[in-house]
Amino acid sequence: MITKTDVEKIARLACIDLDAEDMQAFTMQFNAILEYFEELEDIEAELTELEEHNVLRADEVTPSLPQRDALANAPRVENGYFRGPRIL
Amino acid sequence: MSHREHVEELLDAIGRSKLNAFITVDYEGARQQAEEADAGELDGRLAGVPVAIKDAISTKGLRTTCASKMLEHYVPPYDAFVVKKLREEGAVIIGKTNMDEFSMGTSTETSFFGPCKNPWDLERVPGGSSGGSAAAVAAHEADLALGSDTGGSIRCPASFCGVVGLKPTYGRVSRNGLVSYGNSMEQIGPIARTVKACAALFEVIAGYDPWDSTCRNVPVPHYGARLADEITGLEVGVPQDFFGEGVDPVVENATWEAIAVLESLGVHAKETSMPNLKYALSAYYIQAMSEASSNLARYSGIIYGHRVQKDHDWHTTFSENRASGFGKEVKRRILLGTYALSAGYYDKYYLKARKARVLISRDFRRVFKQFDALIAPTMPYAAFKIGEKNEDPLSLYKVDINTVPINLANVPSLSVPCGRKGRLPIGMQIIGDQFNEQLLFNIAFQFEQSTNNKHAV
Repeated sequence: MITKTDVEKIARLACIDLDAEDMQAFTMQFNAILEYFEELEDIEAELTELEEHNVLRADEVTPSLPQRDALANAPRVENGYFRGPRIL
Repeated sequence: MSHREHVEELLDAIGRSKLNAFITVDYEGARQQAEEADAGELDGRLAGVPVAIKDAISTKGLRTTCASKMLEHYVPPYDAFVVKKLREEGAVIIGKTNMDEFSMGTSTETSFFGPCKNPWDLERVPGGSSGGSAAAVAAHEADLALGSDTGGSIRCPASFCGVVGLKPTYGRVSRNGLVSYGNSMEQIGPIARTVKACAALFEVIAGYDPWDSTCRNVPVPHYGARLADEITGLEVGVPQDFFGEGVDPVVENATWEAIAVLESLGVHAKETSMPNLKYALSAYYIQAMSEASSNLARYSGIIYGHRVQKDHDWHTTFSENRASGFGKEVKRRILLGTYALSAGYYDKYYLKARKARVLISRDFRRVFKQFDALIAPTMPYAAFKIGEKNEDPLSLYKVDINTVPINLANVPSLSVPCGRKGRLPIGMQIIGDQFNEQLLFNIAFQFEQSTNNKHAV
């Protein structure tokens, strides 16, 4: 069972503000979904069997995105920088 | 008819349409590209052919929203690899299609821009998440379209709208420029009205790209040239696990009738079983949500995306940006993914899902020692009504029961129309071993020819 307090904690970890209505609905829905997921409880297998291919490209220097393009979608920009919220 | 006239026809159809298949239509760009094609300035395998693109795939200078308020005004500074390939081959990019927000859904109802509708019945969903792409192709609002498939998002709408859609082998198509949701499972793939057109589009987008480290360097065959290759004597498996509880008997019958048609073409069909498929739904959702929670962490509203008016400290600002920029289903999946990866629960959920993926992959490897391909219903039933499954997320997840195993096993699957329930199309999927898309096209093409394409749009 997960509680509203658990959902509140997860929401803080995920940086998503939840209103009271969503908190209530999500708590109920999450319990139903997590209960369904419990069917995996008894599974055992070696993960080394998983096929995963990660091929790195050669480390060659190529032009990167021009500063103007990189900033074009930023909601707030100042002197060629992204402007973020204050830290402290 | 000139390319310009054809494009104008499509733009008219889109303008009159009740489907809401497009989020952004590139009127000016499409007209200009069509004129260039008419003037002979574009050459290539798709010269002058209008293609619609799922709004999760980046198009330089053309708004790409992922059907989210978060990216409502986002204009990509670069083209996705597949879009570059389309441009190189002379395709006309007509617009960006509607979808479930961040590809999270099976109905194209979670779009910030409103639900897309099924061209066969406006009260029903087109399937999802690439619903706009399939609906546009079915309704002749585009000739071809690209979608993306993480757990069925190309095959489901192809099945519901009566068109052909391929989920390629993982690593066959570059994901560079595709907005990530469940990156270990998703592929971009083609949607078309015929198998031949689907193969032609696939041939253009497949291939190696050093900018996607999971993309494989395997030669791309000329799929279209071999569609009539002999299929007599092929061994096809029919896993009973795809015909479980909840599969509509009408869908089951349509699938068996299609198998009978294949048998008349000399294919041998035999029932088989894949017992670990029962874990697929949980394994898929845990992995997809976990990957989503990490992939969507980038949306903080600072570098791009939705940002609230007033800044507070960074944690509050990020949390407010994300709360007002994401829809409910996206929040649900990010939160559940965060939970599944969090200390104390990782072993119980994420690790178990990875282990289930091992078992499911093993089932596929085993059946592909015995069979050349597998046949199954793509979806358990025909298109459902808009709003019918809104209340209970788990019931909507269960709609994906037959499509998710394919993504977990990294294999290709082609959905083709194989029957109808009333007016509503039914699709079957032809599943193959990794990098064996050619065989799927051949089987589907010869099925389509021998049924006179009567099930398609």
